Amino acid sequence: MSKSTRGFGFGRRPGTVTVIEQKVLRSSARNARMAFIITALIVGILALTVASDRMHPILAGLLALPIAFVAGLFIWTLVRIWPVLRMLWWWTPEIGAAMALVYGWIALANATSTLVTFAVLVPLVGIPAVVPVIRRRVIALVWCFIVRHRLRVCFSQFIIANKSGSLPLILWARPTPVGERVWVYLRPGLSLKKLQDRLDEIAVTCHADSALVELASNSGKAAYLRFDIKRREVLTAKVSSPLPDVIDIDGMPFAYTPPTDVPAALDLPDVPAESPVATAAKSATSTNGKKPANAKPAPAADTNDFDPWD
Amino acid sequence: MSTIARDPLGTGRVPVAPGLSMFDPMFVGIDEFGEHVMLDVVYHNLLIAGEPGGGKSGLVNLAAGTSALADNTRLVLFDAKWVELGAYIDVADEFIGDEIDKAISVLRRLLTVAHNRYRWILSQRRRKVRREDLLSTIVTIIDELAMFTTVLGTPEQQKEFEQLLRGLVSLGRACGMPVIAATQRTSWDIIPASLRDLFGYRCAFHCTTNGSSDVILGDGHADMGYDASKINPDNPGEALLRAGKRAPYLIKAAYLSDEQIYNIADYAAWMRRPSGITTPAPPITTAWEMAA
Ligand SMILES: Nc1ncnc2c1ncn2[C@@H]1O[C@H](COP(=O)(O)OP(=O)(O)OP(=O)(O)O)[C@@H](O)[C@H]1O
Ligand SMILES: [Mg+2]
Repeated sequence: MSKSTRGFGFGRRPGTVTVIEQKVLRSSARNARMAFIITALIVGILALTVASDRMHPILAGLLALPIAFVAGLFIWTLVRIWPVLRMLWWWTPEIGAAMALVYGWIALANATSTLVTFAVLVPLVGIPAVVPVIRRRVIALVWCFIVRHRLRVCFSQFIIANKSGSLPLILWARPTPVGERVWVYLRPGLSLKKLQDRLDEIAVTCHADSALVELASNSGKAAYLRFDIKRREVLTAKVSSPLPDVIDIDGMPFAYTPPTDVPAALDLPDVPAESPVATAAKSATSTNGKKPANAKPAPAADTNDFDPWD
Repeated sequence: MSTIARDPLGTGRVPVAPGLSMFDPMFVGIDEFGEHVMLDVVYHNLLIAGEPGGGKSGLVNLAAGTSALADNTRLVLFDAKWVELGAYIDVADEFIGDEIDKAISVLRRLLTVAHNRYRWILSQRRRKVRREDLLSTIVTIIDELAMFTTVLGTPEQQKEFEQLLRGLVSLGRACGMPVIAATQRTSWDIIPASLRDLFGYRCAFHCTTNGSSDVILGDGHADMGYDASKINPDNPGEALLRAGKRAPYLIKAAYLSDEQIYNIADYAAWMRRPSGITTPAPPITTAWEMAA
């Protein structure tokens, strides 16, 4: 990963850099040198100005020189090791988890007997493995971490193909019912349009069914994007409404009494052949009250899939 | 007020707070990423279409249930099939079955109310109602629009119904009188573009042809890939929703079983008992707070 680009400097404007290893190394060295000179110059002048207030200018110069050198050296080191720092940052959660695991294990094994170690470990591993809810949540979280790395792989591929550009900042990720949602802040070299054209590649790299990208905020910052990685289908699930949960039917003094005017002629033979004329006349004279039943001799005819036009 | 508690792996909770109001976004289902889909129906109207069995009445019932439980909301229901919205017959201020005369007279009344409201809004020196006005929200729900515009009554009556409805849809939006209409048949004679475009939210369940999908979603949408005839017909409740500036997107509507619908309707009828307008009794409020 370190061969991709120079990262974002501390307060320095990032430039675009071609992404070929040799060149990157060379440009990294050059950048570090530039950073050293600029920092040393600025810090030196500042130190000189402040110090010459208090002492003789020559003494101040002698004092400012080492200060400038140290500051420059600090920035130079930072720029040189930046790829390593960036990689450490990318892998912080994983490194942290691995360390915790190893140290936890060692500490536990040292502090207690084997039996107790197992007594602690079995539920720790067993409960998430057995309880589906916890297991799914753990797996979903793990996928979030994986996806951030996979996306980065995608981005570096894209900018290598483009021959220039900077790696986007992959902000955070969270599980969704279908997969993961990742927020990304683009940097020069990529755009929403470019990414939308290559969603299939992103889906492949992320081991997903499909991927979708759109602007993360409605206000429309072009660089702030949201990726949806899709691994499962939710549209086939049954969605329930929250409405039944807010009602409390137990406390309700309500009993249903069926109306008495339900029509009895529910089958074709029950409705005599001459009846339609009579009922038509009846419905013409009836008022518009809530008594449909009388006017409709055969409700059986329009129970399901009532398509008079088909 | 509404808050969404997101549960990464479940559908999570949706905002149904004490004192549910129609001015709060209405929960209609989830999108293809499992996120809640909330519609601000009052200011937009909602048109639902799709072939028989697509799940239109399911969505219509969800809207009716939400409106029935909402505070300070009146229901006007048109249902030529009687059974789809019949549960809310005691909650509704007007329930129109298959009587076109009554349908027309109710629409006239609604239009008069809308006109009066605009005069009132004008007197307040504003251009639309707000939640703080405490005017009741009058939700008009029509299941099987085509029954009223092509089947029931004489052609003149059908024409008049259509005209009045068009008036209500265009006027109701800003004065707290939204219209939610569903239709099986998606063709230009049922939903002319001039009527369709008055609906801010359009929801297409499975359609038989991409032409009928375009009738709902808008011309040329099928060519752009938003084609409701490609929806899986074996998955009722899946639909393409066109809402706001966003391109149409797939949703799965939430579904209420018959028992749930009747429970909601009974509860709403009981809650509204004194005057036909919602004033939740104190013990209910606590129950709601617990549930929410
Ligand atoms: N959101 C949903 N989730 C799951 N199942 C659903 C959903 N909506 C509808 N269904 C199923 O599909 C069936 C038909 O739905 P519904 O009656 O709403 O269709 P419709 O479009 O109104 O049909 P019609 O045009 O005949 O009135 C329902 O009985 C139900 O079993
Ligand atoms: Mg229906």
